[in-house]
Amino acid sequence: MSSVGAARFVGQSVVRVEDGRILTGRGRYMDDIVLPGMLEGVFLRSDVGHARIASVDAEHARSMPGVVAVITAAELEGAVFPVQVPAEIPNYLRPVFHALADDKVRYAGDPVALIVAESRYLAEDARDAVEVEYEPLEAVVTMEQAADPALPALFEDVGSNVFYTEAMNFGEPDAAFAQADRVVTAMIDSARVTHVPMEGRGGVADYRIGTDELTYHAGSQAPHALRQGLSGLLGHPADRLRVVIPDIGGAFGQKAGLCREDLVVCAAAKLLGRPVKWVEDRVENLAAAGQAREETIEIAAAVKDDGTILALDVKMRLNQGAYPLLGTPAPLFAWIARTMIGNAYRIDSMRWSLDVYATNKASYGAYRGPWAAETLAREILIDRIAHDLDLDPVDVRRRNLLTLDEQPCKMMSGPTIEGVAMLGTLERAAELVDYDGFREEQRRAREQGRLLGIGFSTYIEPAPGPPDFWAAIGFPIGGERAVARLEPDGHLTVMTTQAPHGQSHETTIAQVAATEFGVPMSHVRVLYGDTSAVPYSFMGTGGSRSATMASGSALHATRAVKEKALAYAGNMLEISPDDLEIVEARVRVKGDPDSGMGLGELAQAVYFIPPEGEENDLRSAALFDAPPGGFSGGTHICFVEIDPETGIVRIPRYEVVEDCGSLINPAVVDGQVRGGVAQGIGIALYEHARYNDEGTFVSSTFLDYLVPTAMEIPTIGVEHFQSPVMDEVNYRGVGEGGTIAAPAAVLNAVSDALGGTRVEQLPLTPDRVMALIDAANGAA
Amino acid sequence: MSVEVTVTVNGEYHSAVVDTRQTLADFLRQELGLTGTHLGCEHGVCGSCTVLVDGASARSCLMLAAQATGTEITTIEGLAVDGELNELQQAMRDNHGFQCGFCTPGFMMTATELLRENPYPSEAEVREAISGNICRCTGYQSIVNGIMQAAELIHE
Repeated sequence: MSSVGAARFVGQSVVRVEDGRILTGRGRYMDDIVLPGMLEGVFLRSDVGHARIASVDAEHARSMPGVVAVITAAELEGAVFPVQVPAEIPNYLRPVFHALADDKVRYAGDPVALIVAESRYLAEDARDAVEVEYEPLEAVVTMEQAADPALPALFEDVGSNVFYTEAMNFGEPDAAFAQADRVVTAMIDSARVTHVPMEGRGGVADYRIGTDELTYHAGSQAPHALRQGLSGLLGHPADRLRVVIPDIGGAFGQKAGLCREDLVVCAAAKLLGRPVKWVEDRVENLAAAGQAREETIEIAAAVKDDGTILALDVKMRLNQGAYPLLGTPAPLFAWIARTMIGNAYRIDSMRWSLDVYATNKASYGAYRGPWAAETLAREILIDRIAHDLDLDPVDVRRRNLLTLDEQPCKMMSGPTIEGVAMLGTLERAAELVDYDGFREEQRRAREQGRLLGIGFSTYIEPAPGPPDFWAAIGFPIGGERAVARLEPDGHLTVMTTQAPHGQSHETTIAQVAATEFGVPMSHVRVLYGDTSAVPYSFMGTGGSRSATMASGSALHATRAVKEKALAYAGNMLEISPDDLEIVEARVRVKGDPDSGMGLGELAQAVYFIPPEGEENDLRSAALFDAPPGGFSGGTHICFVEIDPETGIVRIPRYEVVEDCGSLINPAVVDGQVRGGVAQGIGIALYEHARYNDEGTFVSSTFLDYLVPTAMEIPTIGVEHFQSPVMDEVNYRGVGEGGTIAAPAAVLNAVSDALGGTRVEQLPLTPDRVMALIDAANGAA
Repeated sequence: MSVEVTVTVNGEYHSAVVDTRQTLADFLRQELGLTGTHLGCEHGVCGSCTVLVDGASARSCLMLAAQATGTEITTIEGLAVDGELNELQQAMRDNHGFQCGFCTPGFMMTATELLRENPYPSEAEVREAISGNICRCTGYQSIVNGIMQAAELIHE
């Protein structure tokens, strides 16, 4: 059924529904929630990395003004079950631990107690009065230390800090390496970083004695998954447990799962019979909310002299920190990296190995493009191939990228590649920046002692991936649900499983539904984030899924309601539904604006006197499965100039040619791309969640953890490349690509500016760049 | 210890007795219910809590409520005029200036001060002016564009 004559909101940069409240200061974020009788809780956290807890003395704190409770592991016994990663992954160690540290602390930031008081000021006063005696243990900070059996195991019950290893081959790597003219190697040591949403984590737990209802208001990316986790670990019936999300001040993966603190806050509300609010401060957020990207990859390519890549050899190592995340254990992200590393290139064989280590650091988790190490390693390898074989980096990519004619085909790791036009984005990007002209400019600049560089990065990401993608990872994810309902006044409510936190879903899903339904956007309300109202999803918002999956499910749910509406109207008007259309919120005879009835009139007729038969309302649910295609991607080009005196890297220009299929709202897409690139630049140049040798966290303020500002992030050009249309729902995700691709583009540009010097360690701080300049000069 | 605070916020006079150590941000949010001002770091770096105190931008997380006595304060709630978005708000809406909205109050108040002091800022001046505010979502370009367009709208 088409929407002939209806207003087409899809494809336009319509203004955001969200901005009505955000720009006027009327958003309602977690800390804005105030409930009757509400208490405030603050966590006492370990400031040491690894120690036994000899004693916790909270007696004085408990007697301080306004203090209602000091909750330690002892108080939680019976209220919160012990915690363990639920998925049994062969070979993956799964220690049992507790919501609050009991016998040991395992990272600087480990929660030891929750102090609950009448105000946060009073709770913080009392926190200072809780005395914890630690018996220090040797800290395990690096992956090398984790591999050393002489150092203490973080979790005695599993006995080792080597948590997971795997090794496997794809295709025939031995034969390919035997045929190679050359083997080219590269290495990347990516720094541990953290997400830094401008609003930290937290929640307000509201327990009602008498009904046993527990409502948790929390900034979760996946409210149903949070509810499920809370229900299991608190032993609280799911029918009386509701998670509701307020406005969320960013997340980037950090708020995707259940965290230990959620359990403590909910248990506190149940124990005390009063609402309890916890709002994380910035120090806690940097230290304890989750970190990411501490990975090394050693990579080698079997190549022919013309730059053809025959096979890869990849050794990935990952530092997962102390406590594994429950829903998304660290090996999962490495598996996605394993699956994606061949990417849009014609690479048929690979030797692969993976080691995952536990150390005294914060939990490693999903951060915007969590598997991005694969693109970083592969794209620097490609530049290294070009350098070693004296070829042009664009030519090496050109030679190895899959053409559309070769597709559909299978990646060596299994998923189907179809309709992927990365060669097109590469050619367009090179043309856009006058690549040949730049090389001439670079040569002249170098004669004047100026260091200019250019770096390419080409990639695809599963967004949401083709239908066979997630099964190939070993983590199958099904389709996505949506429900649409015509309200008695003729407006449409669309219930989505997304949990938006900046992605503008209230706008984009309304664009899709309003276009399909034939009503103004103001007649569509997108309802989300309340587990008592929205359909189930384990995923919520994440994995670049929403553009396809939320749009597709909303489209089909809306379409189903529309078909019902037309059928009812046909009965009432005694005309075939095929001869009816909905235009401007009116059901009418096609082409006759004066005929028919308003949608409100129709809805009231159906709701007040339900028609006979099975179909007796104007509500429909849809389950939408990923259509073919499923990859977004593109080519990024970064220009840098390095100050040879200071080592400061400046980015005068950055261009993105990306393909995410058809655009729902171009301004939203551009915003996602640019925001992602900014985070990628942060990873490449500035950000580092550092620990010292004793396992103390030393990046706990914004003076130590450097988030780029408007002075560091350049104007980012974005051009949309259109690959062949794969499906009616031809929208693909774009949230993660910027962060996936940018670090390699920046790093390649820095290497290029230094004549192809190996760049192996992030972030590229001025002192490191000075050392690279010295190395380049030494080599010259 | 308590102290009396008398202050005009968004044109309304308020008098309250508060804890001497209460920050201006907490006073605005908790005593006056003006939750549009956000706390992003509580150590004066991220700029989310920026408000105007007698027209000058200030970090309300680093200022005590008591220090605001006798001043006139403007918060993001005070920007719209008679329920209509002002030029800066319109320009930010039209440019999709923000995404999650948490840093928004700080950028809006910083930009308000900038446009009052420098009605025709260059892009470089805009970037310099907002360099004390952190946004994690946008990469800043949409915010810069919004401020530049607001400058045009104000002069129309």
